[in-house]
Amino acid sequence: MHIPDGLMDPTVAAIGLIEFAAIVSVAIVVSRRSLREKDLPRVAMLSAGIFVAQMLNFPIGGGTTGHLVGGALFAIMVGPTFAIIGMTVILLIQALMFGDGGITAFGLNALNMAIIAPLVGWGVFNLMKPLVGRTGRIGQGVSVGTAAWASVFVAAAACAAEMAVSYAISGGTYGIAATVSVPAMLGFHAVIGVGEAAISAGVVTYLEHVSPETFSRRAAANPSSSGRKGVLRSTTLRASGAVLLVLALALPFYFLYAAEGRDGLEQTMEDAGVTEGAQLANSPFTYGQNYFGALFSGIIGFVAVSLAMTGIMRALDGRRAADEM
Amino acid sequence: MATVHGNPFQLHKAGRDTEETWFTRLDPRAKLLGILTFVITGAILTSTDLLLAALVLAAALAAASRVSAWNLAKAYIVALPFILLASVSLFIFTGPVQGANMVIRVSTCVLALLVLVNGTETFDLFLGLRRLKVPAVLTTLVMLTYRYVLLISEELDRMRIARKARGFSGGKSLLDRYGLRVLSYTAGMLLVRSSARADNIYEGLKMRGFREDMAAWRRRTMASADFAFLGLFLAASGALITIQLGVVP
Repeated sequence: MHIPDGLMDPTVAAIGLIEFAAIVSVAIVVSRRSLREKDLPRVAMLSAGIFVAQMLNFPIGGGTTGHLVGGALFAIMVGPTFAIIGMTVILLIQALMFGDGGITAFGLNALNMAIIAPLVGWGVFNLMKPLVGRTGRIGQGVSVGTAAWASVFVAAAACAAEMAVSYAISGGTYGIAATVSVPAMLGFHAVIGVGEAAISAGVVTYLEHVSPETFSRRAAANPSSSGRKGVLRSTTLRASGAVLLVLALALPFYFLYAAEGRDGLEQTMEDAGVTEGAQLANSPFTYGQNYFGALFSGIIGFVAVSLAMTGIMRALDGRRAADEM
Repeated sequence: MATVHGNPFQLHKAGRDTEETWFTRLDPRAKLLGILTFVITGAILTSTDLLLAALVLAAALAAASRVSAWNLAKAYIVALPFILLASVSLFIFTGPVQGANMVIRVSTCVLALLVLVNGTETFDLFLGLRRLKVPAVLTTLVMLTYRYVLLISEELDRMRIARKARGFSGGKSLLDRYGLRVLSYTAGMLLVRSSARADNIYEGLKMRGFREDMAAWRRRTMASADFAFLGLFLAASGALITIQLGVVP
């Protein structure tokens, strides 16, 4: 999944770099205080552990092998901010030490494997945990496995989408056409994901047996959450936030595609020889006529929906707290 | 042998110093800035002539730097599946010229980057990044992580030998539950060991007065050779960009 230089359209690569820089800066600022203390060598050591675990090849069948990405595993072990920083470090080493993955494409690679993969993995794990948590170890294995599979699959989908957008907006100079990239990436990684899921679930089970403090240390060090219900609620909220953030990251690419490429519906209508009739009513807002117009209306819409959701959750929370009193 | 994603050779080599040539002696800042600018330029070129010119420059750099061609070839092969998929699909969907352009473009960028990576001592590269104002948190983490990767991969090697001695041959397929269990326990053990080690290492670092940033022992100033190298690559990149923008408005 390491995209080399020169494959992606420069605009797509630039958006990737900007998004990556924004998210990683936030992650660093958020965790700076704890990184100064004991967590710095800990994150470095875990990154090294994941880096080396990526060298473990697992068999897929027919003589081919795949290897771990580890984003979900990292995030489940130490939380998403450390996972984002640690995976970024891993990718930096791979790009600068081994020439694996490009420099201009670094933003996109980091976006896929260091941001989207941990966020999806962590989000799915925490959303599933309350659902299957009561079934004990099997439930845990299922949620870790699902999270790991989803992280690989969504990261691969993001990669395929970036290539498809590159192809569409560059008029066939860069990228890979969606008809090739989407089935190739998704098909391959749907299978690879099964290995990732099995190994991640195995690792978590193993760690719980052998060294439970790998998990509990972080939970104990986090005094802000008090009470079991409070933890559950806030984690669920934050996990939904992680999934929403991934969607938000996809928005600029989507609007780039929608503004420059052709809309699927328009294409179909043109193929069928249908023209758009007069509008029945005018919407008070427009999507904007160009890329930035579309981008800004998209971002405004996203922020509005997120704020509304947070408000509703807060209101529900407040009412429940009032009931308990 | 430890393998980093299919390029197994470097991890063992990387611990040692790379062979001394004029290229390895250049200031890492000059190399980073010069080659990265060139790579970025290469990534935006779209006309075949300019791409060929860039490829020639990259090949000349590879030859002049005397980085082992074998290493370059091995690392290039890792990127090959992507290059092939991309260019074959462009070849089919938009035409042979675009397909060929894609091969040349990606090869140019990959080659230049590989020369930089293979021809620079690892910790020099980190120091270069540090002095180019990459945040200290990241560079320190990168340095520590790289150091630990060398340690843990030795551990993995030992575990691999132990596994082999007990008759484990890597499993057959994704349906092989036993094989996957062994692999995941191996990964789990790696993480437990690294986590246990992290605590000791922290104590050790503190003993030596570590405070969130690593000061560089080596101080160097840009010499005339460094400026010449940097100037050459900046000029070449500038020229390529200018012509590109002139040719394709």
